[in-house]
Amino acid sequence: MLEIIQEYWLLLLIGEYPHGKLGGLAMTLIISFVSLIVTFPCAVLIALARTGKPGIIQSIANGFVHSVRAIPLLMLIFWAYFAVPMIIGFPIDAAFTLIVAIVIYQTAYLGEIIAAGITGLPKGQREAAAALGLGYIPTMFRIILPQAIFNVIPGIVNQLTTIIKESSLGSIIAVSELSYVMLQVNSNEVTKPLQIFGILAAVYFVLCFALSQATNWLERRISSRRTGQVVVEAVA
Amino acid sequence: MIEFQNVSKWFGALQVLRDVNATVAKGTTTVLCGPSGSGKSTLIRTVNRLEPIQQGKITLAGLDIYAKDIDVNVLRSGIGFVFQQFNLFPHLSVVENVMLPLLRIRKQSRAQARPVAMQMLERVGLADKAHSLPADISGGQSQRVAIARSLILKPEVLVLDEPTSALDPEMVGEVLKLLRELSADGITMMCVTHEMGFAREVADRIWFLRNGTLTFDAEPTAFFSDDAHHDVRNFLSAVRKNH
Ligand SMILES: Nc1ncnc2c1ncn2[C@@H]1O[C@H](COP(=O)(O)OP(=O)(O)OP(=O)(O)O)[C@@H](O)[C@H]1O
Ligand SMILES: [Mg+2]
Repeated sequence: MLEIIQEYWLLLLIGEYPHGKLGGLAMTLIISFVSLIVTFPCAVLIALARTGKPGIIQSIANGFVHSVRAIPLLMLIFWAYFAVPMIIGFPIDAAFTLIVAIVIYQTAYLGEIIAAGITGLPKGQREAAAALGLGYIPTMFRIILPQAIFNVIPGIVNQLTTIIKESSLGSIIAVSELSYVMLQVNSNEVTKPLQIFGILAAVYFVLCFALSQATNWLERRISSRRTGQVVVEAVA
Repeated sequence: MIEFQNVSKWFGALQVLRDVNATVAKGTTTVLCGPSGSGKSTLIRTVNRLEPIQQGKITLAGLDIYAKDIDVNVLRSGIGFVFQQFNLFPHLSVVENVMLPLLRIRKQSRAQARPVAMQMLERVGLADKAHSLPADISGGQSQRVAIARSLILKPEVLVLDEPTSALDPEMVGEVLKLLRELSADGITMMCVTHEMGFAREVADRIWFLRNGTLTFDAEPTAFFSDDAHHDVRNFLSAVRKNH
């Protein structure tokens, strides 16, 4: 096990960079953070649509969420990777494809978390904003969303662990993230799958366990300052 | 100043306001009382269209509040509204709560708005709490901040829904004192309250609602006299028992 780490630790951390493509853990983290950052505003819009006035926009948002929740992420990745280039006529970068698929997928789930944060606020908050004469946009962006998002920070961090795990699906379309790099190591060192995938599991575990501890800590910090009841169902 | 003409309202099949006709004169204080569920909150919430009405007409300074050219947000910003539960914005400090309407509705800069908000906080005696969060001040202080926030746009009308009902007894006084001062300053006030001492002292008119009907609308002397409507007398003796 130690020899493997000794020999491949740099590959594991940053892939072939700087001589080749960036990869490994660095790639996993970049993909995950970029996905979360891009997902966030999309999820806010979906949450606003889902909790807003009934109408065409809400129906579209509902349809989107229900559809995405009914497909495996891997299917979205296949679509983005194989079908989209055929439709648009040129190939797209695999890492980019993976991020797009994760963003679409996570928008549905993170959107539900933020929507729960919105509906969990006391209705007096909206009424007070309305009584002051605030319109929809300032009410949502100055009053409701800051509180709703603050209350669901643990859920958002939790979603980051989900994204990190999901990014391993990138190995199927040859995105050089952590799992893919370790698959390659495995084909070099044909006789040591136990050690290699043991290391891989350990890296994911340390990362995700640390994040889930952070989630618990945030949960405790925030519940002491929270207004309203937010019930965030376990997702994905 | 505010006129209700044949106002009726239903929640689904339940009629909660029945043909209410009444007037609030400019600069006067009207106290609304009546048993729980009689429609007091609903009636005052119709004034700024927090509750829509299905029949009748409400005018504010002669203007139909449902007229087509009325912007509901402009209407609301001209009416101060205070809730039983304060409804301060917990993520904003006291002074930011009070500043918010200036920033977001009057579109003032922070530099313009802050001194105005501080002045208002001084007016309600809470300048020293400007940078506290709502969670860190008492109920009475919270309600005074809520009143300051509702007054910051200088509304001509102040509407309050049981402003002292959620307070510990020792904090009721500080809020009522402020309301007395505001009433004396000549703001037009509508206040739902069970504080009969306050009503007797400050109100120009007292309205009594029962089952959505405005059954009594009179000056305090008539309201508290022995020949008031028997519903009123029953209500008053019930209130006295609870206090
Ligand atoms: N949003 C609503 N939907 C349905 N019914 C409602 C709603 N709000 C109030 N009601 C009903 O309307 C009636 C009047 O309620 P309202 O809150 O105006 O009474 P109130 O006089 O303010 O009572 P309280 O003294 O308890 O505050 C009650 O029967 C109440 O159950
Ligand atoms: Mg009420």
